Amino acid sequence: MTELLNMMIIDGLSFALPLFIMAIGGIYSEKSGITNLALEGFQGVGAFTGAFAAVFLAQSMTGALPYYVSFLCAIIGGGVFALLHALLCIRFRANQVISGVVMNILAMAMTTFLTKRINAAVFGHAGNKFLLGTSARFTVPVLSDIPVLGAVFTDVYPFEVIILVVAVVMSYVLYRTPFGLRLRACGDNPHSVDAAGVDVNRVRSVAVVISGCLSGIAGMSFAYSISANFSADIYLGYGYLSIAALIFGNWTILPAFGACLLFGLARSGGTVLIQQLGLPSSYNDLVRILPYVLTLVLLIFFSRSNRSPRALGEPYEKGKR
Amino acid sequence: MRLLRSLFFGDRFRMLRASFWALLFSLAAGAVILFLMGKDPVSAYANLLQGSGLLPKVKYAGRQNQLTDFLSFLDAMTPMVFASLSVAVALRSGFFNIGVPGQMLAAGFCAHIVTAALGNVLPSPLAKLLVLVIGIAAGAAMGAFMGWLKDRFNVNEVVTSIMLNSIAMYLITFYINTFYVDPVSRQSRAISDAARLTLSGVRTHGMKADFALAFPLAILVAFLLRTFLDRTTYGFEIRALGLSRGAARYAGISLSRTTLLTMALSGALGGLAGVAYFCGYFASIQPGTVPGMGFDAIAVALLGGNHALGCILASFLITVISKGSVYMSSRLSVEPEIASLITSVILIFSACSASFVGRRGGHD
Repeated sequence: MTELLNMMIIDGLSFALPLFIMAIGGIYSEKSGITNLALEGFQGVGAFTGAFAAVFLAQSMTGALPYYVSFLCAIIGGGVFALLHALLCIRFRANQVISGVVMNILAMAMTTFLTKRINAAVFGHAGNKFLLGTSARFTVPVLSDIPVLGAVFTDVYPFEVIILVVAVVMSYVLYRTPFGLRLRACGDNPHSVDAAGVDVNRVRSVAVVISGCLSGIAGMSFAYSISANFSADIYLGYGYLSIAALIFGNWTILPAFGACLLFGLARSGGTVLIQQLGLPSSYNDLVRILPYVLTLVLLIFFSRSNRSPRALGEPYEKGKR
Repeated sequence: MRLLRSLFFGDRFRMLRASFWALLFSLAAGAVILFLMGKDPVSAYANLLQGSGLLPKVKYAGRQNQLTDFLSFLDAMTPMVFASLSVAVALRSGFFNIGVPGQMLAAGFCAHIVTAALGNVLPSPLAKLLVLVIGIAAGAAMGAFMGWLKDRFNVNEVVTSIMLNSIAMYLITFYINTFYVDPVSRQSRAISDAARLTLSGVRTHGMKADFALAFPLAILVAFLLRTFLDRTTYGFEIRALGLSRGAARYAGISLSRTTLLTMALSGALGGLAGVAYFCGYFASIQPGTVPGMGFDAIAVALLGGNHALGCILASFLITVISKGSVYMSSRLSVEPEIASLITSVILIFSACSASFVGRRGGHD
């Protein structure tokens, strides 16, 4: 029994944490007033650049360095790609929902196209994926012996630590620094920010780029855990799931973490259940709906009190009141 | 002369001009990409038209000619017209129907299951009619559910549709893989020819062609929808809601009723797209994926200016690229993904085209 519970916690966490870091990115963007449906595309492009770097470096290097460099590249890749969303939404005042959807379409088309090209041109073989394998895991010695809770410290992917550290830093920046205050004000009352002498559009651009960077970490984490490669399969809708998490968390970081944990545990719990009942693996698809159904039901109860940032989705115009 | 002037400068054709410029810029961008890859852009674009049956190919296989290609092109375009209309109707009243993929899946799946359960009881025309009715009903039910959640519980319709997409996909994947799989193709069992909306492989006039029976319906629906939106009270209420919720409520328009009506209508169109796709263009459902067409439709509707007839034009265009790219990639040996790349560039340009042509007043 404890065995099963451990498995559920270990798998649940490794799924929930990438979702969480992506949701933080979404919160940054949406709190600054830019609707962000593009998280899905950001994480894909991040995973693509990271995976390319990892495969490229692995030709000449061994050890853990390619692993960490790949995350760095994923952050850069996601951030650079996010610039395009910022450009469309802020400079060209495109409809932000549509821009988000288009970003996702573009990300998928571009990365699958480039993966094939790069495989042929750089690595000299045909293929539509970058093979990575799953990353090594570690177990914290003493802490992992605690009953039940010990599972949190067992078989941890290194990226889970990276995510937790980044998450703490990002929460601090959003809620405890002047920059964070301005960012949140941009989403609720951009004119007051402008009156205080801060460039609204610049803050928003930075926020969108941050969301791209954080999504890149998430994408790379999925590539190193669930899919073990980079291919078009990375676009499974996890970005959308994290958007649900952040709306569910009422655009605040800690409740969004709760939502992500819920998704993660529901997902791994379902898998464990299927294994336990000895059902064929096709039943996995049946339990995969659990997080989504759960979200819908909970949203019905919580949406009444939900309040999105007031200026969300509106391009900032100086003269407009 | 006056028409010409309004075409170039007037407000009436502002959206059309915006889409035109978007298209021009993107084709130029696509040409640059192709050129950098060392391919001839002109022949690449000609290949797109040839693959869609709009230009004659150099040589054809037996029993095939330009008309076969064109009919197959229409077959592929039909679900796209329905899907983009679905998005456009919802957008007119300010809702984002991102749930078209889920509605397509649900409608196609229900039609498959019901027709399979009935077997060969119904004569072919009735079976086809039944498929259409099921598609409309299933899609409308899903759309209305989204509208109801939005209206009654204030659940963001974007999130609802995303959740419903995933739920529909996993449920249907489970069902197909467990009970309804074709052991050879690993897809769902194929729908019977009697119920399929596309007459596939008809031998006539020395050729073998696919006839999309739903295509005339799609065109008819687009025209009806235009009349409905522009000329009826309900249509006016839908548009009023999109222009200003507050003003609509003040004018005494029932927000609940209009929300439900719009989303049900949008869902029904999504359902029609589903049966035209899974019970027409294709004869079976591929488990484990959502039809990407449902997402593309959002952008196609945008390219068509959210206008019913614009959607026909935009669907035509995007289908030329997606359908023709198969032929292009085999002729030029480029990756078929180049088509979706060009498509997404078109969509990017059309997304920000509003700022190319300048906006009028501050009412958006």
